[in-house]
Amino acid sequence: MDEIDRLLDQAQTEIGRCTEPDQINAIEIAWLGRHGKINQLLQKIKNVPDDARKTYGQKLNRLKTAITRQLADQRQRLNKQTDKTPFIDLTLPGTPYPKGSLHLITIAVEEISRIFEKIGFVRVSYPEVEWEYYSFASLNMPKGHPARDDFETSFIKAPADPTYGKMLLTPHTSSGQNREMRRLHGQPPIRMINIAKCYRPNWDATHTPMFFQCEGLCVDKGINISNLKGTLNYFAKEYFGADREIRLRPHHFQFTEPSFEVDVSCNLCHGRGTINGKKCKVCKSGWLELGGTGMVHPHVLKEGGVDPEVYSGWAFGCGIERIIMMKYGIDDIRYYYNGDLRFLKKF
Amino acid sequence: MNIKITYGWLRDYLETDASVYEIQKYLSLCGPSVERVEKLGDDYVMDIEITSNRIDSASVLGIAQECQAILPMFGKTARLKLNPLTHYRLGQTTTKNKSLTVQAPAELCSRFCAVVIDRVSIKPSPTLIQRRLTSCGIKAINNVVDISNYLMLALGQPVHTFDYDKIGGTTMQLRLSHPGEQITTLDGKTIELPGDDIVIEDGQGKLIDLCGIMGALNSAISPSTKRVLLFVQTYNKNKIRRTSMLTGQRTVAATFFEKGLDEERVGPTMAYGMELFKKNAFGQPSSPIIDIYPKTYQPVRITIAPPDFDRIIGVSLKPKLIEQILTRLGFAVKFAMNQFTVTVPSWRQYDVAIKEDVVEEVARVNGYFNLPNVLQPIALVKRDPEMERLFVYQNQIKIFLKHLGLNEVINYSMVSAAQIGKLNLDLTDHLELNNTVSEEIKYLRTTLAPSLAKNIEENTGKYQTLRLFEIGKTYVRRSRGLPNEHYRLGIAVNTDYFDLKGMIEALFTELNLTKISYGPTKLVFLNQNCRMEINLGKQAVGFIGQIGRSAVFVAELDFEKLTESASILPIYQPVNQYAEIKLDWTVSLTPSRSYQSLVDAVQAHSRWLNRVELISLYRDKATLRLYFSASDRNLTEKEAKQELETIKTATESL
Repeated sequence: MDEIDRLLDQAQTEIGRCTEPDQINAIEIAWLGRHGKINQLLQKIKNVPDDARKTYGQKLNRLKTAITRQLADQRQRLNKQTDKTPFIDLTLPGTPYPKGSLHLITIAVEEISRIFEKIGFVRVSYPEVEWEYYSFASLNMPKGHPARDDFETSFIKAPADPTYGKMLLTPHTSSGQNREMRRLHGQPPIRMINIAKCYRPNWDATHTPMFFQCEGLCVDKGINISNLKGTLNYFAKEYFGADREIRLRPHHFQFTEPSFEVDVSCNLCHGRGTINGKKCKVCKSGWLELGGTGMVHPHVLKEGGVDPEVYSGWAFGCGIERIIMMKYGIDDIRYYYNGDLRFLKKF
Repeated sequence: MNIKITYGWLRDYLETDASVYEIQKYLSLCGPSVERVEKLGDDYVMDIEITSNRIDSASVLGIAQECQAILPMFGKTARLKLNPLTHYRLGQTTTKNKSLTVQAPAELCSRFCAVVIDRVSIKPSPTLIQRRLTSCGIKAINNVVDISNYLMLALGQPVHTFDYDKIGGTTMQLRLSHPGEQITTLDGKTIELPGDDIVIEDGQGKLIDLCGIMGALNSAISPSTKRVLLFVQTYNKNKIRRTSMLTGQRTVAATFFEKGLDEERVGPTMAYGMELFKKNAFGQPSSPIIDIYPKTYQPVRITIAPPDFDRIIGVSLKPKLIEQILTRLGFAVKFAMNQFTVTVPSWRQYDVAIKEDVVEEVARVNGYFNLPNVLQPIALVKRDPEMERLFVYQNQIKIFLKHLGLNEVINYSMVSAAQIGKLNLDLTDHLELNNTVSEEIKYLRTTLAPSLAKNIEENTGKYQTLRLFEIGKTYVRRSRGLPNEHYRLGIAVNTDYFDLKGMIEALFTELNLTKISYGPTKLVFLNQNCRMEINLGKQAVGFIGQIGRSAVFVAELDFEKLTESASILPIYQPVNQYAEIKLDWTVSLTPSRSYQSLVDAVQAHSRWLNRVELISLYRDKATLRLYFSASDRNLTEKEAKQELETIKTATESL
């Protein structure tokens, strides 16, 4: 066995003992590095007799190839072995960070505001404690109208105003219509979105004495029913989804003429009312009622200082709780305003 | 309100090739919503929603009239083959027997119509009438009572029948009630009247009718009744609604009368009723027809031009079509000089008054589904910067607090006297509701604290740590006018004061509010050892503290004042290239030398001080870390140490 065979044997033993990738790297440097053993042997070639030089060179080359291969083999073997470091369960949860919650109403209000902002609507805030005038008379609901009696509206113990009547908690966001017209001094364009708390003396499984409404008001030259349809169609598609449709049905409100109820097509049966021949469980014949709407009554425009001969407009109102129910299917309104964290923390 | 009619009954009046389901579909799109159709035997029951302005349509006839206008738009035939309004005419009877002496003021009763029917034999109604009534949700009782119900469903005019022989002194005085008068109605309930209710007193001083709501038991039809007084009226609608609501007697008749009925329909109803009596009860009229109708209907005319329609609807409709629709609805239309003159039929007199009302009739029958969806052009609206700021920051702050781990609550704006009392607040400072459905929500809150305290209390035990916030309005009474309505931000925790203070300070940093300081407060509901006023500059903007000795810590801030000074970015300070030197200083805190006063003094006495941090606290010993640097050169440690000495000397006297 000549020296080179002995060296190959030695290298093999060393490589075979390696248990860590670092050890292999060290052996690689010791043998194949610039100052490694192979290079040192190569430098010795000049001392080899001429006739043996060729064989010596060939042998060295074989040695180098063999070591290179064995290093690679050993690396592969090591990689295949499982890690020997202590077990860490990487599926454990990370450092906990606080998770708060927003109220469902807040989430809906933001979504709705953003949708209307994109088409130039301005969000406003008007009094919740209001005068009769803004909640009723300015909306073409004269004295004696059923909505004005105290079965439908909460009044406040306070002296009445000679001009504006009794003090009350506004039963709808429509009271903002006159306020917005006056803010703009009766000068359209008006593009209002009023989302606020409203109050009615009614508290049972499906009503809370306080609730949120969203009111849209658009007044300008040449505003017509098609514009109202266009806006509601835009809103329904943005808020509920691009595949949803709207329809208007005749209805009656004092402050709009004509008046409509607006429906959104059901997301389950897509307006058909049936699924595989069976009645849809979610909707009333294919459509879900969204809210009330109509063309602003000329009397309402006049009260706001807007000339009904020059301008026309539409108004739209709906309950936020209802919109949430329609979009997210959450209808536990009794939890909305009682501060029960078991409910509120879910959002 | 909803009414029920049957398809078969409808076809008594209407000739049509439309199926009940077609009628349901088309009417719902263009007129009253047919909410349900139910097959019952060989007929169908239609459950229909009637809007409050269209009480004229709340009957078989009313729906037939709607069908006549709407169905042809969908290619269906529809014709009133029998119009009871023209078919039944109120004539006069041949008898001269005097029936009643009547007093009925027109302001309470716009039309009073009655006739005595003699030789009535009480028995069950014919099967068809029984079946129709039952299908429509009304119990069949006997031929006489059924006639009134049948008339109401057929024509939409409630009808009453008295046992004529039970009316004392053959006298009827229709008048307003006095408070406390009592009447026992047909359903056996004895009602104490609120006063100002329309009632009828007979010649013996008994009340025999709570008008428009329910008759009295003392004059009711019984199996032995021989003479019936058939009674058809229209009443002052506001009075009827008020009495119905105040007495809780929400009868079907009341829901009709309270909406205002067409006086012109009283006559046909009476005539039809007399016919039914003859047919079903062999009754013969035995008195002249009493008909008190001082103010007869004067038709209203509205002029309107084709462009008025286009302007509101948004598309152009042919005059011919407009005329067709209106005529089918019962309006008389003349078109001349490019202008329509529309005469309103009596049954629409309380509903159609202005041009827009006429446009609505045409637009709905033409079909809203036929109109295109066209967004109006974008317009730049003058905005109110204060409102804008309110919403922008509200959202930003809510999201920030959520990410701090707080849970948002929205509470009722009203609180109970008990909640107010618990916080030692003065009840008389609070606006009170006149009519509240619960004592829990009787007073408008002047601070968010009572609501938040209740939240913490009610959630205790459900979670160990509670951290809540609310942004909502408070309502502070003023000597006159509407209250001061301001948005406030409240945070409540069950942890400790510094947990809470840390959160509001994080919020101040987020809003780049730097001029925050804390001062004494006398707020009664906060623990006197744990309460502070929060100031922004020189302005008080809120408070923080512990509610009494409870585990509730609460902070409240004036949302508007807060956001007024808030900014998106801090005031920009260029990056300082020069070295910063940190020096620690341990100092005793005393009531007169608070952390806040120390920091104030330190900042006032050093030109090189950048910031101060509290590093640690042991009893009253606080270790502060002071960061010094100059903006034009590197400070030496010696200079910084000298600076600290100056500070120490200056603050010794605190």
